[in-house]
Amino acid sequence: MAHVIIMPKQGQSVENCIISEFKKKVGDTVKVGDVLFGYETDKATFEEESQVEGTVLAIFWADGDEIPVLQNVMVIGNPGESFEEFKPVAAAGIPSETHRPSASSLPPAAPAGPSHSSGHGRPEVSVGIPASADIVPDAPVSPRARMLAEQKGVNTAQVAGSGPGGRIIARDVEAAALAQGHLTGLAKARMAAGGFVSPGSGSGLAGAVKGADLKVWKPSHTEGLPGEGTDYEVVKLSNMRKLIAKSMYNSLQNSAQLTHMLGADARQVQALRKKAKKALEEGRLDVNITINDFVCYAVIRALQAFPNVNSHCLGDAMRLFKCVNLGLAVDTERGLMVPAVAHAEEMDIVTLSRSLKKVADDSKKGSINPDLLSPEAASFTVSNLGGFGVEWFTPIINLPQSGILGVGTIVPRPKMVDGEYRFVPYMALSFTYDHRAIDGGEATRFLKKVAEEIENLDIDF
Amino acid sequence: MPKSLYIDPNEVLRPKEHEIKFPEIPVMQYAKSVKEELKEGNFTPEDLKHIYRDMAVIREFETMLNLVKTTGGYNGVAYNNPGPAHLSAGQEAAAVGMAYNLTTDDFIFGSHRSHGEILAKGLRSIEILPEAELKKVMEEFWGGATLAVAGKDYKGGNTKELGIRFLLYGAMAEIFARTTGFNKGLGGSMHTFFTPFGIYPNNAIVGGSGSIAVGAALFKKVNRKKGIVVANLGDGAMARGPVLEGMTFASMDQFRTLWEGDMKGGLPILISVMDNQYAMGGQTRGETMGYTYPARLGAGFNPEAWHAERVDGYNPLAVIDAFRRKKALLEKKEGPALIDVVTYRYSGHSPSDQSSYRTKEEMEAWQAEDCIVGYGRKLVEAGVATQEELDAIQAYVKDVIFEMYKLAIDETLSPRMDLVKDNELLGDMMFSNSSVDSLGDATPEVNHPMEENPRVKQIAGKTRFYLDKDGKPVSSMKMYNFRDGVFEAIVDRFYKDSTLIAYGEENREWGGAFAVYRGLTEALPYHRLFNSPIAEAAIIGTAIGYAMCGGRVIPEIMYCDFLGCCGDEIFNQLPKWQAMSGNILKMPVVVRVSVGSKYGAQHSQDWTSLCTHIPGLKVVFPVTPYDAKGLMNSALQGTDPVIFFESQRLYGVGEQFHEGGVPEGYYEIPLGEPDIKREGKDVTFLTIGATLYRALKAADELKEKYGLEAEVIDARTLVPFNYDKVIASVKKTGRIIIAGDASARGSYLNDLAANITELCFDYLDAAPVVLGSRNWITPCHELEEAFFPQPAWFLDAIHEKMMPLPGYVPVSNQTPAQQILRAKKGV
Repeated sequence: MAHVIIMPKQGQSVENCIISEFKKKVGDTVKVGDVLFGYETDKATFEEESQVEGTVLAIFWADGDEIPVLQNVMVIGNPGESFEEFKPVAAAGIPSETHRPSASSLPPAAPAGPSHSSGHGRPEVSVGIPASADIVPDAPVSPRARMLAEQKGVNTAQVAGSGPGGRIIARDVEAAALAQGHLTGLAKARMAAGGFVSPGSGSGLAGAVKGADLKVWKPSHTEGLPGEGTDYEVVKLSNMRKLIAKSMYNSLQNSAQLTHMLGADARQVQALRKKAKKALEEGRLDVNITINDFVCYAVIRALQAFPNVNSHCLGDAMRLFKCVNLGLAVDTERGLMVPAVAHAEEMDIVTLSRSLKKVADDSKKGSINPDLLSPEAASFTVSNLGGFGVEWFTPIINLPQSGILGVGTIVPRPKMVDGEYRFVPYMALSFTYDHRAIDGGEATRFLKKVAEEIENLDIDF
Repeated sequence: MPKSLYIDPNEVLRPKEHEIKFPEIPVMQYAKSVKEELKEGNFTPEDLKHIYRDMAVIREFETMLNLVKTTGGYNGVAYNNPGPAHLSAGQEAAAVGMAYNLTTDDFIFGSHRSHGEILAKGLRSIEILPEAELKKVMEEFWGGATLAVAGKDYKGGNTKELGIRFLLYGAMAEIFARTTGFNKGLGGSMHTFFTPFGIYPNNAIVGGSGSIAVGAALFKKVNRKKGIVVANLGDGAMARGPVLEGMTFASMDQFRTLWEGDMKGGLPILISVMDNQYAMGGQTRGETMGYTYPARLGAGFNPEAWHAERVDGYNPLAVIDAFRRKKALLEKKEGPALIDVVTYRYSGHSPSDQSSYRTKEEMEAWQAEDCIVGYGRKLVEAGVATQEELDAIQAYVKDVIFEMYKLAIDETLSPRMDLVKDNELLGDMMFSNSSVDSLGDATPEVNHPMEENPRVKQIAGKTRFYLDKDGKPVSSMKMYNFRDGVFEAIVDRFYKDSTLIAYGEENREWGGAFAVYRGLTEALPYHRLFNSPIAEAAIIGTAIGYAMCGGRVIPEIMYCDFLGCCGDEIFNQLPKWQAMSGNILKMPVVVRVSVGSKYGAQHSQDWTSLCTHIPGLKVVFPVTPYDAKGLMNSALQGTDPVIFFESQRLYGVGEQFHEGGVPEGYYEIPLGEPDIKREGKDVTFLTIGATLYRALKAADELKEKYGLEAEVIDARTLVPFNYDKVIASVKKTGRIIIAGDASARGSYLNDLAANITELCFDYLDAAPVVLGSRNWITPCHELEEAFFPQPAWFLDAIHEKMMPLPGYVPVSNQTPAQQILRAKKGV
């Protein structure tokens, strides 16, 4: 019996994936575990391994095609078996040719703006449609334009009206819909809800704009401001940048954040680090356990004693975690990413170190599982800027988490030791917490606990 | 303008007689005693006693109504009757005398004050109808529902007595608005009638019956039906236009000079003036009229002075005597006739009338002459009846009326229509919506086979589309045009339906003012197609009477502007009688109305909207030959009143839309279906009437200059109107202009716009725009472009109110500011 291979759904928010490369062609024999094709989301790359044995009977797509998740990709079976019934029914807006050659391995750029053929048989009514600079706040909207806007995912606040008295009429919405390109269902819903603007073409098939392609939009934005000044240039934000911007902005707008700062005696951590380095050099360890790994280990211990801190603040409720899913802020070329390590409390220092390294590396490579990047995936986050010499800072909470620990650099500080002042290495700890969830006393106690854990780490490896 | 009537200047300028002689009009000449009448064999003693009984019934019936109105009950049984009650106490002898000689083939029409007349006519019909026939009438009426209640407790076994109960109950139930009433309670006190007894509608518009009854007489004559028609009017009504126009119509010379064969001779119409001395509170004699006696009016209308006579309405025998003689005249085709019946109204105009305009002495003096008491005394004196017998009659009458009263006010036995529970009940009664080829059984009278008709032959040689086979325009002489379409439908019906007649101001030799009827003169005898006097109220009023008796008729109003001249007939009579009769009557009247242009303020108005406002009229306005023929066929196939508008701009227009041209055979276009004349997707134009062609020009310009495609829909019919196509179009285009030549304010265009806004709100890209004519007088032809909607106005409206057109410069001022300013100024 023939088996159909579908495009896996990698994470809740993933709508489509791009086939990076088919590793098998029609007629090839396949064993269990053979890689059939590689595919990528906007953030990660994956390989699909075969679960069955047989011959490749049909491949419905080509390299570079963007394929909706759960769509049939190929069929494996015995030669001669029928596979026609598995042929995917083309989804709306996705070309029905299954074997068309792909022009490029990346999503083709959609022609922008009204020159994009409407496909409705409607003549171009481009006359008299004002530029976005003519957008008037609270302009009247005709009932038909309102209805069309809802259907096409157009935010009328982003549309300039060409009707009498600046009324936004149907043709304005149609032009706007054309300009914002073909939207996926999620993108439409987000657009209609407001706060986003479409880039015109997106990373979806045939330039379809996906939810993730949408840009944050605010009426006062300089969106569309023309040209460059003599003293500056205007550079559009990347999608990633906009997402980060939105999430950071939302965090500060929607929570009550403040930061406590405390130093921790770093001698024990430094001793452990020295030991680990030696073990690595001597081949007794295959993983490089960093200062940050030790700090995270200590934080995990502290979190287990403070369930209120290891939590999500949901406004009218708290989600208290029984495990520690530790988020790690990672600086990548594409921007800040915060992948999560689940059930970190079960890990010994070596496993924890490996896990943290993997998610960081995956993030930098772009192959991270998108679900691990969700703010919901972590119960607490650690951000370490110590490597760059930063001592104190005020990290921003990754909502809905209740707190984030900023780890600063280690500086020598005077400390009374055995009746005299000596310089002792101190690690700067900056704990930002959501005062909606945690009071100052508890925050202080938690931070103190973290310091104590760091100072008294006692681990064998 | 028949050529057979030579207007000889020799005779006109030098007549033989140099004064106009009027015949003498007899006044109160009856002088017989009861004994003399008995001796002459005119009555049996039983007849004379029935006359007494009938008068007593009327008096008690109205006493009951008066007590209900003034004391809230009758014989101690409370009831509230909020409706009207125009009573006629004192006039009983006049009513009974009027009815005595009439059979059920003779029709009476009345006024708001006609309880007495309908009871008298009903009682007389019960008296003379064979029992089996009477029984059948009662059993079949409303499926026996009325009889079931009226005869509920009657055990007497006497059909005539049962008949009296039936009549009294049916009339009371009607007055009290019960479904078992003669007209399901939809007519009420002022309109109660019962056609099986020859009782036709009473009319609450004073004098309303004056023209309608003439039309009923016309029906009897043209369709060779037995019987005469009596119009019972008050003395006050003799001032009313419909009466005077109706009398003019009934007096036409042509009945004697031009109508041929058995059609030659006068109409069987008798106007009976119930001269009760008062018109509301105004006194006709000495105050509001100048005729001294209503009988004098006859002298103004024809050389016979309508055989007018003034008789003693306080003596039933005098009235009977007069009606007997007049009826004989009418049967000899020597009508029309007029009887002025002297009577007196004790009761006020209505129960709210305090009789402040007359003295107590005057009323007492007339009551001393009371017709019932006086007549009873004569019967006793002549030995026809004893006082005891008369008292027994009075007692019987009081009993039976009280019994019927209790039944008629019983909410269970005599329910009212539940219009709250069944919202559509009355709506479904507004039109009869039937489809009938012919309303008569006779072979239609025509002068030659249709194919021999010169007009029919001429049309046969015409091209039925505006382009020939090669796509070249057909010359106007060879092109089948709008008037041909109307003609074909009408001539076809004349050859199908023997009852169909047509008339108006010039309908015959001329071929109608706009030549639609050219050829009909050759095809039809005078009694089917004739010229009427210039009397629009009579033209429509007689058509109403003709139709309610069972005939099909096409009256013509030459210019739409003249609708005002027959305002009451169009607005109050024609639309109402189907529903007011409880659907007993049908109203197959197709009123052709020509909408002018070029002729200024009183000859160029589109008044279609006035007609749409009145419930009960169907309103049609075709503007292509194909639509004209198909819609006229439908109008003539139906049984509802249709106001059929034709535009004088378009009589010569050829068929531009219907593929293959206008079919030669019969076809119907259902009333109420708008037609898409051109498809488009950017804006919808919905037009009424001739505006269609200007809308198409606008659509051309829109397409050529701006690449926008207009969908152009011709309403064709205004009432009824199916919105489906319009809704679908607006859902597609999102924009609609509704245009017509009626002055915009208060026009049907706004009605369409309001409904479309409700029905398509979410699909609208702009509010529907109404383009009507300006709220001015229609200026002369040279200035008309500023008045009627022009092609440029459509573009102006799109530019100003829907979507600005690039580089467009508006011609007319369609801005909101101007709209407000004009409204402020009342223009």
